[in-house]
Amino acid sequence: MAEPRSTFTLGLAQIDSRLGDPEANLEKHLAWIERAREQGVDLLVFPELSLTGYRLLHLTARVAMKADAPALRRLAEAAGPMRVIAGFVEASERGVLHNSCVLVGGESSGAPFFLHRKLYLPTYGLFQEERFFRPGKRLDFAPLPWCRAGLLICEDLWHPELARRLAAAGAKLLLVTSAAPGRIGASDAPANHENWEILTRATSLLDTCWVVYCNRVGWEEGSFYAGGSHIVSPGGDVLDRAPFLDEHLLVAEIDLREADRVRWRLPLLEDERDDIEGPA
Amino acid sequence: MSGMNSPGKSVLDRLRLNGPLAEKVLTSFIRDAVENSGTEGVVVGLSGGVDSSLSAALAVRALGPEKVHGYLLPYRTSSPESEADARLVAEHLGMPHRVIDISPMIDAYFQTAIADEKDVDSGRRGNKMARERMTILFDQAKRLNALVLGTSNKTEILLGYSTVFGDNASSLNPLGDLYKHQVWQLSRHLELPEQVVGKAPSADLWPGQTDEGELGFSYVLADEILSLLFDQGLSPEEVVERGYDERVVKRIVRLEQQFRFKRRLMLIARLSGSAINLDQEIPRD
Repeated sequence: MAEPRSTFTLGLAQIDSRLGDPEANLEKHLAWIERAREQGVDLLVFPELSLTGYRLLHLTARVAMKADAPALRRLAEAAGPMRVIAGFVEASERGVLHNSCVLVGGESSGAPFFLHRKLYLPTYGLFQEERFFRPGKRLDFAPLPWCRAGLLICEDLWHPELARRLAAAGAKLLLVTSAAPGRIGASDAPANHENWEILTRATSLLDTCWVVYCNRVGWEEGSFYAGGSHIVSPGGDVLDRAPFLDEHLLVAEIDLREADRVRWRLPLLEDERDDIEGPA
Repeated sequence: MSGMNSPGKSVLDRLRLNGPLAEKVLTSFIRDAVENSGTEGVVVGLSGGVDSSLSAALAVRALGPEKVHGYLLPYRTSSPESEADARLVAEHLGMPHRVIDISPMIDAYFQTAIADEKDVDSGRRGNKMARERMTILFDQAKRLNALVLGTSNKTEILLGYSTVFGDNASSLNPLGDLYKHQVWQLSRHLELPEQVVGKAPSADLWPGQTDEGELGFSYVLADEILSLLFDQGLSPEEVVERGYDERVVKRIVRLEQQFRFKRRLMLIARLSGSAINLDQEIPRD
């Protein structure tokens, strides 16, 4: 059996989605998959709820689909050998809704072969996710051929034990999808983006892994998404960043050996202790 | 006074905006709203003041001047300087503009239809004029297949310094999350004529009127207090502890509470389990 490749080509599809219009969004996904294919992309990541739009409120149930829905099968067929991650409202077998990400492609039979259900649902400020979704209950590796990888959705990254658990269990790559409402202040970069970059860089440093952040752009209900999708190397450096506010396909080579090299120098995960007592 | 006891930045420092980024975000807001609504541009009432000038300037940068239709809507007692400033802005921005005198409509109501009412105050007259202007803008928007661009800023929305279904009745409002202080900043970034940006704000409801005279405090002071209350979550007592005039703080808190209804129009009595806006909170986008 051939050794898995240690490098692959990553694409981040920083798109705008039409709120509550899965058909139009699916067409856009298919077009961007073709664009990515032309650039040799092996793994293409779309933002959180990319197939439905984010601020759905009571439209949430109307755009929900099962994990084997025709739209996701079409996405898988279009992906072919490419791996594609997209966001959607998942109607589970138990009859509840999840803010989910699906991984399709890799010439699988067409059915999605991995789902991540958002684990932390922000319900504060302008966020109302717990009104419409139930949180997921499982953290798993996303089955990619190149390495162990974790898939997190937006708020999941703000609870750093998830990234830590994934990295400690062997993930060298964390894929974070997002629909982060933008804010601006005195700086050149959107104020909320600066927080995100602190977070992705800190995660990559502390967990010595690649951190990839795919955010959306566009407007919903008077609120914008700032884009600024980016890739952070295991040493905490931003390798590349998409522009703010505009749609963009960001393509980069990921060398997974970089995570090994950083871990040899900086064995933080190996040094982690679980025998420290206290407080109280 | 501002921020003397605040950790780190002063209040006005916190309200500083990056001009190019704010311009990019707000022009994309206008472009997105116009494209998604299938309309062909915007109409905007030009008062000669800084708010409507800034809205128009953002729209011109978003859509090009030919898609931004300015309307000067004076009443016969409106100040000629306001009209001259509105013209100056329209010409500065290179946008088409038109004057429609609202005196016949206003006079038909007050002097004929309700001529028996002897005690009409300037507030009612001002409100009627604001609503008359909005009906004209919506009618012209229909004619031009355009959206009505709003010009109310965050300070006046929070203070309720607006007319229900008048100036606050726009289709989209790029300024609604900008305090007055930020409106001035962004107007200077866009290089609007200083004659407009630098003058005392006035609703021009009667000769010589200024907003700050009528409100009883300056916009900068209101912005600082509102920002401490709403952006930073301080209690009114904590704002006073920072050295702000207690009477002004109390008045601002009262205005904000008194006029909340202006920010949530169309109160529907819920009877079913699927009431619009409560059980069926459907996005408009």
